[in-house]
Amino acid sequence: MIHPIPFLLLAAVAVAAALGMLLSHNAVHSALYLVLNFITVAIFYLALNAPFIAMVQVTVYAGAIVVLFLFVIMLLGAERLRSPVDEVRGPERFHRYAAILLALVLVGVVAYLLFQGGLDMTGVDTTAGATLDASPQALGMALFQSYVFPFQVTGVLLLAAIAGVVIFGHTKRQGEDNA
Amino acid sequence: MNTFGLAPLILILPVIGLLLNGLFGRRFVEANPANGERLTGWLASLMTIGAFLVSLSLFLSLLAHGFEPIIVPLFNWIDIPSAGFLINWAMQIDTLSVTMMLVVTGVGALIHIYAIGYMHGDPDFSRFFTYLNLFIFFMLILVSGSSYLVMFVGWEGVGLCSYLLISFWWARLDKNGVPANANAGRKAMIMNRIGDFGVILAMILLFWTFGTLEYTGVFPSAVEMFESNHMVAFGGLSVPLATVLTAVTALFLLGVAGKSAQIPLYTWLPDAMAGPTPVSALIHAATMVTAGVYLLVRSNVLYEIVRTSGATILGLISTPDLVAWVGALTAFFAALIAFSQNDIKKVLAYSTVSQLGFMVAAAGSGAYVAAMFHLVTHAFFKALLFLGSGSVIHGMEHGHHHLAHAGHGAAQGSGGQGSAAHGSGTGAAHLAAEADANQVHGNAASDEVADGFDPQDMRYMGGLRRRMPTTFIVYLIGSLALAGIIPLAGFWSKDEILLHDQTYATPIFIVLAIAALGTAFYVARQLIMVFFGKPRHAAAEHAAESPALMTTPLVVLAGLTVLGGLLNLPYLTRAMAEANHNHPAGIFLMLESWLEHSLASFALAEEGILALPRTPVYLSVLVATISTALAVGGLLLGYLVYRGRPRTSSEPDRLARTPIWWWVVLPLNSLYMKGFVPAFNRFSVWLADKVDWAFWHDFVHDRVIRDIFVTGADFSANVLDAQGVDGLVNGAGKTTQRLARGLRLTQTGYARTYALAVFLGAIGLLVYFLLMAG
Amino acid sequence: MPSAVNINWYIALSSILFAIGALGVLLRRNAIILFMSVELMLNSANLLFVAFARHLGNLDGQVLVFFVITVAAAEVAVGLALIVAIFRTKKSINIDEINLLKG
Repeated sequence: MIHPIPFLLLAAVAVAAALGMLLSHNAVHSALYLVLNFITVAIFYLALNAPFIAMVQVTVYAGAIVVLFLFVIMLLGAERLRSPVDEVRGPERFHRYAAILLALVLVGVVAYLLFQGGLDMTGVDTTAGATLDASPQALGMALFQSYVFPFQVTGVLLLAAIAGVVIFGHTKRQGEDNA
Repeated sequence: MNTFGLAPLILILPVIGLLLNGLFGRRFVEANPANGERLTGWLASLMTIGAFLVSLSLFLSLLAHGFEPIIVPLFNWIDIPSAGFLINWAMQIDTLSVTMMLVVTGVGALIHIYAIGYMHGDPDFSRFFTYLNLFIFFMLILVSGSSYLVMFVGWEGVGLCSYLLISFWWARLDKNGVPANANAGRKAMIMNRIGDFGVILAMILLFWTFGTLEYTGVFPSAVEMFESNHMVAFGGLSVPLATVLTAVTALFLLGVAGKSAQIPLYTWLPDAMAGPTPVSALIHAATMVTAGVYLLVRSNVLYEIVRTSGATILGLISTPDLVAWVGALTAFFAALIAFSQNDIKKVLAYSTVSQLGFMVAAAGSGAYVAAMFHLVTHAFFKALLFLGSGSVIHGMEHGHHHLAHAGHGAAQGSGGQGSAAHGSGTGAAHLAAEADANQVHGNAASDEVADGFDPQDMRYMGGLRRRMPTTFIVYLIGSLALAGIIPLAGFWSKDEILLHDQTYATPIFIVLAIAALGTAFYVARQLIMVFFGKPRHAAAEHAAESPALMTTPLVVLAGLTVLGGLLNLPYLTRAMAEANHNHPAGIFLMLESWLEHSLASFALAEEGILALPRTPVYLSVLVATISTALAVGGLLLGYLVYRGRPRTSSEPDRLARTPIWWWVVLPLNSLYMKGFVPAFNRFSVWLADKVDWAFWHDFVHDRVIRDIFVTGADFSANVLDAQGVDGLVNGAGKTTQRLARGLRLTQTGYARTYALAVFLGAIGLLVYFLLMAG
Repeated sequence: MPSAVNINWYIALSSILFAIGALGVLLRRNAIILFMSVELMLNSANLLFVAFARHLGNLDGQVLVFFVITVAAAEVAVGLALIVAIFRTKKSINIDEINLLKG
């Protein structure tokens, strides 16, 4: 269990990074903000007694996914994009207001519930999680025993993703592609 | 011992005949014409004779069995237990149905035999006999049915056979290229249908009221309900039984008018003469047209209840009286129309309509036995007359073909010898005749020969009594019977009707008496034009007597005509009648004693429940004198107008020349004749124009009935269907399209719009779960 | 501080991050930024899963996060390949220009 002040600090950083990602004009900057957000969340994982997940987060998310994003950004030269929100015509004009409204609704509802007392955790032993064995071995045992089917399916999914990406990336002789 | 178990045979035998003839007959005839014709023809005839013998045995069984009706069930036809609806196909063997059976099969058998000779050489020989047997089958179903529904099956079946047989030569076109035979058959069918409509409605009402259509169910229930003043409920409406029965009997009258050719549905009968003569004899003289009379007599209880209750239609006339008046007026008008007919068969057709009017009038007046008596005797002498006319026509064609092959091109008038192959009109060809020119005409498209000669036109006939003596004698007997000359059968039956009406309803008596006078007049006219005087056309000069196969049935029928009166001899004096309490006894009123077991009205009248108008049946000097005087007077009038000098066929009818002739010959009567006769002639011709008017009336039928129907159908097809139904269906499609067009606008193509929508939904769900589900 | 950090705090944080991610999806025109916002949303859900795993003493939450990360990786790979492919034809990654499937 983390002390409130570090929590708030980290939370602020996370939210700031997210906002930065949202509002940044430069795509590369957005990606970097995202990395920051991911790292922060990884620290949260550590605080939540999930060390393995934290490392996976850093490795896969921050290390692979965002790198992939950066590669594509560089490839496509997207860092030169200008305004974050563009002019649109027609009824789509109002989409941005609707979106902001909905987001506020979401946050508002959650806030309201939290102020109503939040989630009722009486009768639940909330300290048990602190001493939980969350080592890779434990996770591995869970994966290969209770969750072996999703595990296998995920394997197939990855295979499919690889195959799809390869096909998409394949270009023909004259420069045509399979888009 | 009784033979009631054999009753179904009367139905089965004709079916066997029709199946064999229908399936194999054509092959037999085409393989070997002479033998084939004999085989099919005699097969059909034997089946009918067999049915006659079975009917005879049923007759004897009934005699031995005490005259009580027997129901012979055949099978369950419709059985709906939950609705209490049970219709059995059963035969009711009682005295009335046996009487009809005997007439139908007996006269039918004779006509079958006649037709073997008459239809000789026709390429559709076997089809004819198939249809004849089919007709016998249906007619027997009609008369032997134990319920109105079974009777109606036969009723419609004979209508169908009438259509099939009238338009037997359907491909023939008349001189205007119109398929007259087919049209005639269609007209008959459609007019019959109008009558059928009435019968169906009546049956529905009967079923609603009594819950059954069996005779043994309806009549006792009717009496019971009548006595207890039962009210019949129609939904919320409650009407007295007599009113319902008034409707039923009036609707039955509509059916009778259609089937038995009464006013206003009689016009099909003269047209029906387009069929072969045996058909006219069997169906349109002796049997089918009497189905209406049978219906009336069978429903006597219902009519008597209406009469007793005093219920009237619109407060004017009760249905039995209406029936009597329709019959009387039909008798009168048809007789007058017959005055100016030139076609020998048309005269007989109108005569049939007139005589049916007599029967219907008798049934309407309550003289059911008289009606049946006249039905039987009429079957005899009218069949005789029709077959005789067929023989005459046959002879005329024979003579005509004789000429046609004598000198070619000079076929008009000069006589000559030559081959005697004939054709045109009836399609019988003498195969056993000469080698050359075996023209078989049958159903060929157009048979009219170049000179416009019509073998049925009486204006071309004349003096045939020397050329065709047997035919002449039997025809004479039949004609005199029709006119009502004592002691032939026609006199007795007609007299009984007149006697009854003289006491019951004198106006009807007067109308019928005038009709009888007219009958005698046109009878004389026909006799004189056909058989007396000099031949007016070379064909008539060379006419020859018909073969024995045709004349023998004629002789048999003539014998029946002579003896037919014995069926229902009236008492010789009033005293004798009263001594026997007006009941049949001994040789007197045999038919009445026979029939009264089937006519419940008699018994009910004895018990005082129904007021059946009964008159003592005796040889009333008054009535007999009047009717004989009318008959003889009519004959004499006809003779005086038409006798004597040879005329050419192109000369106008003698009637028109009469004023001058009478002025010369009989100065005493000259004024009367000069004043009366031309006026009468004009009147008669005007009435003949009524025939044209009847055709014009068909024009009205065309306009009124057909056009309304066509407009209605057009409306249904183009408005209701094309616009209404199609509009609904297409409208559903168009609405879907419009809806789709509108909904399509949501597919903007902008991914962000979709994402927004997804987000909106997700937030919605989230909010719902968070807030509502706690 | 009024109380200890409990699950409600994590719920609040997670929903805020989620909302920001959603806004990114809806408001940004650049397809890649859009993808990154999706990843942010997934991430926020992961955070909440782990928080619940911790607070309920159950390891299932972490296992699920494991799977989510895997799937997210696969999805990013394929999605970016798609974008690259589209870019080759349309020479743009403005998702508003990918609107040919309209009615």
